[in-house]
Amino acid sequence: MAAATDDINGKDRFGLAAALLTPIVIINAIVFIVPIVNLLRISFNEALPGGGIGPAFTWENWVNLIEDSYYLEILLRSVWMSALITLLTLFCSYPIALYLHRASGAWRTFLFVLVIAPLLTSAVVRTYGWIAMLADNGLVNTALSWFGAPTPFRLIFNLTGIIIGLTEILMPYMILALLAGFGRLDPRCEEAALTLGARPLQAFWRIVVPLTAPGIALGCFFCFVLCVSSFITPRILGGGRVFLLATEIYDEAIVTLNWPGAATLSILVLIVFGAALALYTRALRRLD
Amino acid sequence: MREGTGGGAPAGEDAYLSLQHLGKRYSDFAAVHDLTLNVPRGELVALLGPSGCGKTTTLRMIAGLASATSGRVIVNGNDITTAPPYRRDMGVVFQSYALFPHMTVAKNVAFGLQMRNVAKPEIERRVQEAIGMVRLGGMEDRRPRALSGGQQQRVALARALVIRPSTLLFDEPLSNLDAKLRDEMRTEIREIQQRLGITAVFVTHDQAEALAMCDKVAVMNAGRLEQLGAPVDLYERPANPFVASFVGRINRLPAVAHGKSAKVGAHELRLTSTLNGEVEVMIRPHRIAIGRTGEMGGFNQVPGVVKRVTYVGDLVQYDVDVDGLTWSVEQPTTAARAPDAPGSRVDLSWRIADTLAFAKRA
Repeated sequence: MAAATDDINGKDRFGLAAALLTPIVIINAIVFIVPIVNLLRISFNEALPGGGIGPAFTWENWVNLIEDSYYLEILLRSVWMSALITLLTLFCSYPIALYLHRASGAWRTFLFVLVIAPLLTSAVVRTYGWIAMLADNGLVNTALSWFGAPTPFRLIFNLTGIIIGLTEILMPYMILALLAGFGRLDPRCEEAALTLGARPLQAFWRIVVPLTAPGIALGCFFCFVLCVSSFITPRILGGGRVFLLATEIYDEAIVTLNWPGAATLSILVLIVFGAALALYTRALRRLD
Repeated sequence: MREGTGGGAPAGEDAYLSLQHLGKRYSDFAAVHDLTLNVPRGELVALLGPSGCGKTTTLRMIAGLASATSGRVIVNGNDITTAPPYRRDMGVVFQSYALFPHMTVAKNVAFGLQMRNVAKPEIERRVQEAIGMVRLGGMEDRRPRALSGGQQQRVALARALVIRPSTLLFDEPLSNLDAKLRDEMRTEIREIQQRLGITAVFVTHDQAEALAMCDKVAVMNAGRLEQLGAPVDLYERPANPFVASFVGRINRLPAVAHGKSAKVGAHELRLTSTLNGEVEVMIRPHRIAIGRTGEMGGFNQVPGVVKRVTYVGDLVQYDVDVDGLTWSVEQPTTAARAPDAPGSRVDLSWRIADTLAFAKRA
């Protein structure tokens, strides 16, 4: 009797879920899936001089991508730079997230607003802010020269500048993702570890880190993906001298007008995302 | 309430765990105030009180999870007031159990031994022993969340016991269990504690738990120790009105005393002690009998009218109106006699020895 009722409920709920999901599925299909399929198709089209897309099917773009070591270089640079930035972001954000998780009341709200406030300004504005900070006659170099350091340090228009800028820009995302994943962290567990003889550092490594691992995995995945796909900050802080996947796609599409080439690189970025997602899912499964 | 604390050993001489003038002050209030309590070796002492009375704060100060703002904590002659929790050697069982969710039962129990750098084979042996002691054999590889509340409770107990702590501390360990399991764990915890002869402090707000399990009970209220004593002392000889009404149910009646008797309304009651002026007379509902007793020598007696009858099977609860005041009376039931109906005039009688009286607190 109870099973029958459950069945009817189950069907009802399925129908409701389907009805509620339909709009988003349609929107996603039109603005996301169709363009990606289109992108995939263009990557197998001929590039005509002057920005045209030839109708003929060709492997040329993909062969080109694999044979030209320049692209491999760009791919590796993008991936390791993103991995490094993700790690730096994690190290800078983890203590803040942990503190926020433990804070309470108005103080927590205040800190929380501070953390997400940067998201209210566009990345472009924040990136220009970093130029003012990191330029040869900027705040950091000026401050360093007061202490008698042999300035200026080249902190901008190179990889260093991109790493500094992106780390700061991605921190709010990392903090939010970490906080979202800190649900299992019970302060009583840490206390229990202490009473069982664990020193604070041992309790941190054996209890706090494992319990926050889902948050760490989510934050890292999130930041890595945002980092690989970020364009404006690498473009401005790299000064056109650092070549990454995102900047290369822009150049191919806008400067050399090679759309099939740009499409091929875009699919490559999607493959990188797929790999990151696979890694994240595996990490989550191992954590459970 | 210094006179009420006479149950412990003087000045902590042969106390194993000794709290001396312990206090915890936050900026605007004192959570615990000048608490002195001595626990002899191998005894189980309850800290009993309403929520917010400072009992958990006291436990946390013993465990080192909260710092005392005054006073000292002494274990086996060593002052550990400022020692960090990981050097205190206390086994703590938390209200929420605080099991490590990412570790199996065996790893949870092994944790404390690993932190003490015990050799692997020894760890394995002691973990098995502890898991056996709490009757969880076969559950070693389960995760805490795959266990029932009672089983989680046992893991928490095993984890605290396996390190052979100097003292066991329980923070309301049974409050998340259902009534039947609670009774079972009560007996089990008491049995293990006595078998190992381990000194223990048990925080609870449940007076039945405290009375049933513990050698002594410390009743706390508003950060202060109200009375320390064996369960029977607290129940029969409460030191003050708070203890009398917190431990067990009781009728509280305003009265005016003159010598060895007190006037409640129009009725003269005889007392066991000498008091004068405004007092509160207290009588436990189940010590009052309905009906006239033959000889009146050792008894007080008042007439009343039954207002309400609640029949709960093993006993009947009456609300009886005596000169406008409502008294609670409880009678065991018997097939030989039907309960008195509302409206009937009855005589209430009880032993003079069961008549408690306290001078009104200033």
